[in-house]
Amino acid sequence: MNQQLAGFAPTPVAARMENHGRSMVKIAMQSGQDIFARTGSMVAYEGFVQYEPNPPAVRQIAGQWITGEGTPLMKASGDGMLYLADYGADVVVINLNGEGLSVNGTNLLAFDTSLQWGVERVKGLAKFAGQGLWNVKLGGQGWVALTSRGAPIVVDCGSGEDETYVDPDALVAWSPNLKVKGKRSFKASSMIGRGSGEAYQMAFSGQGIVVVQPSEDSTDRLRIRG
Amino acid sequence: MAREFQRGHKAKISDLTSGTDLYVGVQINAPGLTFDISCFGLDANEQLSDDRYFVFFNQPKSPEESIQLLGSQAGDTESFRVTLDGIPPQIQKLSFTATIDGAGQMSQVAPGYLRIVAGGEEVARYAFDGSEFSTERAVMLGDFYLKDVWRFAAVGQGFDGGLEALLRNFGGEVAEEEQQPAAAPQPQGGAAPGFAPPPGGAAPAPSFGAPAPAEPAPAQAPQPAAPAPQARQAPQAPQPAQGFAPPPGGATPPPGPAQPDVHAQPTIAAPLAPAPGQTPPMPPGYGQPGQPAPAPQAPQQPQFGQAPGQAPGQAPGQAPGQMPPGYGQQPPAGFPGQQAPGAPSPYGQPQGVPQGGGPGGVAVALQKYREAPTGQRWTQQNEQMIRVDLGADGQPILARQGSMVLYQGKVDFSYKGAGFAGRIVGNATGQEMQLMRCSGRGQVFLAENEAHLHPIELQGDAICVSAENVLAYDESLQHEVRRIEGHGIPGGALFTMQFQGTGTVIVKTKGTPVVLPVTPTTFADANSIVAWSAASQVIISSQVRLRRQAFPGHSGETVNLQFRGAPGNFIVVQPYEI
Repeated sequence: MNQQLAGFAPTPVAARMENHGRSMVKIAMQSGQDIFARTGSMVAYEGFVQYEPNPPAVRQIAGQWITGEGTPLMKASGDGMLYLADYGADVVVINLNGEGLSVNGTNLLAFDTSLQWGVERVKGLAKFAGQGLWNVKLGGQGWVALTSRGAPIVVDCGSGEDETYVDPDALVAWSPNLKVKGKRSFKASSMIGRGSGEAYQMAFSGQGIVVVQPSEDSTDRLRIRG
Repeated sequence: MAREFQRGHKAKISDLTSGTDLYVGVQINAPGLTFDISCFGLDANEQLSDDRYFVFFNQPKSPEESIQLLGSQAGDTESFRVTLDGIPPQIQKLSFTATIDGAGQMSQVAPGYLRIVAGGEEVARYAFDGSEFSTERAVMLGDFYLKDVWRFAAVGQGFDGGLEALLRNFGGEVAEEEQQPAAAPQPQGGAAPGFAPPPGGAAPAPSFGAPAPAEPAPAQAPQPAAPAPQARQAPQAPQPAQGFAPPPGGATPPPGPAQPDVHAQPTIAAPLAPAPGQTPPMPPGYGQPGQPAPAPQAPQQPQFGQAPGQAPGQAPGQAPGQMPPGYGQQPPAGFPGQQAPGAPSPYGQPQGVPQGGGPGGVAVALQKYREAPTGQRWTQQNEQMIRVDLGADGQPILARQGSMVLYQGKVDFSYKGAGFAGRIVGNATGQEMQLMRCSGRGQVFLAENEAHLHPIELQGDAICVSAENVLAYDESLQHEVRRIEGHGIPGGALFTMQFQGTGTVIVKTKGTPVVLPVTPTTFADANSIVAWSAASQVIISSQVRLRRQAFPGHSGETVNLQFRGAPGNFIVVQPYEI
């Protein structure tokens, strides 16, 4: 029985964060190198890992993000292997290595506490996006794990002659140096139920990348379940 | 306007350009690697029967100059001029290949391309990158081949064994060679003559023993730079086996200009064939000094170890060393300075590998998710996303409302009504679609709910798709609601959309679908069926017969469809019952 399943055993550790299959991330934990992870995203762990919900650091940095349910992030520390997943969504692991990235709050799975990070409300759009569109800006030396519903696509923003417009529900991450603004494509006709279905977009301009997912389901499943 | 080729695409050259004087440019790069790009002129049996048509750095043109090597220019790593008219009739195929010169593997290759330029205009481009390859050391990029007319095929096929495997592929006799385990030993053989000669030529074995450890090392060192030439020399070494002397000197400098004569001639056709005969002599030269072997081996390891970049880098750190300890027991002792998140150095070292696991950076991590290059009107980006290029032709597309995930350019999205009659029909049959029209200029990325997308190109033929499985289609297509009658269908009939004309329909399926050929006994669940071909003249013959599956206790609401049609028809079924 074991043999058939042996293929799914974890591979030897080669990096701080690695994909285990498409939709799970394996994090090599070490004391002193803590991780912020989405609350509820842990699916398994080995070793001595402790979890701290509502960590004060998050309260400080992401005060506005916190709702009555508590912070969306927990801190994990200790030694061992930590496995995270988000309801089968694809996981993308990135070693930032000094670069920066803005990530849609619901698409963030985990990141090193050693990163500089901040939370901001996406300008101009928060009123429209039902659950409030929060984005987390990350930078510095360390690793980040993102989720994407379906395999993501990375688009070079500079490649088109015009701005790049993105459906906010499909947006996963973007380069922080891009200029972002909201664009509403309301027309008179859309008021009478004849919209194109694309009521507003986010417009990106500048040099950088935008990551989108092939799904417009951006509900925060971790949050819904609590 | 350059046409984009993907691996496997083929086209007549005459469709690309009316010219026959072509410039073929290859760009292939990888950090720290160099490539030998060559062109094999093959006969009808795809053999290199005439080695004068192996055009590479030592033989820069074919006898009548129909194939010429031009060197690096205009952003191309290597370029050729091919005059199709001038190619003699026995040459039926030109195969453009790239081989890694030294250690390395094709997966390290940065995005590159093979392009065809005619009359100063790029007419075709086949782009590739390392993700399409793995440990190969050679790759056939593209072929020109004669089938009635000259055609071009984007091949992108790798060869594990590197140049040897390629030669074997093209050279007939080679095959008989007693199985020399492909890559590793062969190059060694190649290396051998490099330093073996001195003993053979100059000194008796014993005297070799002593200097050996010192010598092989330097001798080896320069060589790794030029394994490709070595490989070529390997075969050569045989013939001059006795007159060994020249090779060693000549062997080291890679493309030694003086060498062509030595090199060029009987090289390829002969190459590996003599090797078997050669192998015996080799061991004495190489194997005897057995002891030195370990020394030279060491430097070689990376060379042929296939895992070039990482091997040295990772092995040490990652191997048994770091993780386990750090993981389990001695963290505090081992890594005192770590608490500070900012402390990069202690952080970096103990976990050196984990941290530096890859060449970091956002771009690197996301490399494999990059947008696929611009191609035709519809370009599949991955299984679940598709891009449509709305060009100057002004042909709009219709897409399901809300399926746009991203767009660039000036694209207008507008409501697309079905019209009065359409709404009546739509309401009555359930085959209505909430559509938007995308028009203008730019690129639109479409996706919906992680559904798998399948572009189906119609060229005058027709396909039936149930409306909820349509994601988008060219506005140029006509569609109508078809009614399928039969007993046992809830509501008395089943409706689908039939698309017809010239254009593309994007069909979405939940999960990986199965495409079945229509045979006399092809059945599908009415709830899982996604689409079926309705080649216009077979609309009736690929009729659908409905049958009720009356299991006891079964509600009978599942409707099985049976399909009939001429061979060549197919059905598409998804693993999901709506």
